Amino acid sequence: MSLFSALSVGASGMAAQRARAELLVENLANAETTRTPEGGPYRRKDAVFQSSPVESPFASIFSTELQATGGVAVADVITDSSAPERRYLPGHPDADADGYVAFPKINAAEDMVDLIGASRSYGANISAIAAIKDMIQRSIDLAR
Amino acid sequence: MLQRVTGQLERYMDLLSARQKLVASNIANADTPGYQTQDIDFQAEFRSAAGGPPRVQATGGLPVKNDGNNVSLDREARLLSENALRFQLASQLMKGQIRQVRSAIQEGKG
Repeated sequence: MSLFSALSVGASGMAAQRARAELLVENLANAETTRTPEGGPYRRKDAVFQSSPVESPFASIFSTELQATGGVAVADVITDSSAPERRYLPGHPDADADGYVAFPKINAAEDMVDLIGASRSYGANISAIAAIKDMIQRSIDLAR
Repeated sequence: MLQRVTGQLERYMDLLSARQKLVASNIANADTPGYQTQDIDFQAEFRSAAGGPPRVQATGGLPVKNDGNNVSLDREARLLSENALRFQLASQLMKGQIRQVRSAIQEGKG
């Protein structure tokens, strides 16, 4: 039944957008973090999406019949490699010899806009699932 | 007579579910770089005598974003509700056909 795999497609979209939103929130939370386990200031992270077939018990038969790309998945998490922002704070424990502290290069507005986008896309996937659920329900009602 | 109508309805509902899956796929991939909107030629598939899975093709003529993605959420939202409503109509008609058979069986018993 193709409708049940369509539910998995919607779910994969929700999972991917949630993963992206988590990274964006992490960026906002660490906007002032100067210490990380890897050393140096925190670096901005972002998700890279890739279309991928959804996993379903019956997928093997149907995916060969209907060659749709299907769902989406987070292929990679990229870390921003641009130079950190240097602020003059001589009293800071992480200051270098010249009194400059390296801060993460994070633009809060950019992350907020992406976060709204992720939230909207998440909602669009929920609408898709609701519409498909309605179709499945109507098919079940045929038997009544 | 019943066979012909229910057969057509079945094919119609099959195509609607296949199309709805592609719409869900397009919405899920709305932020995937380089993704192209997928769809089926509904009219041609419904008219063609050969059954089986419909042919999936990329939809052209949509504005392409900077990352090479051409998914239009407005278009997908329209198709999403359109497919759901068409399916609702088809399932109501199918229900009517089934009711006719059931009443024929009931009348035959008495």
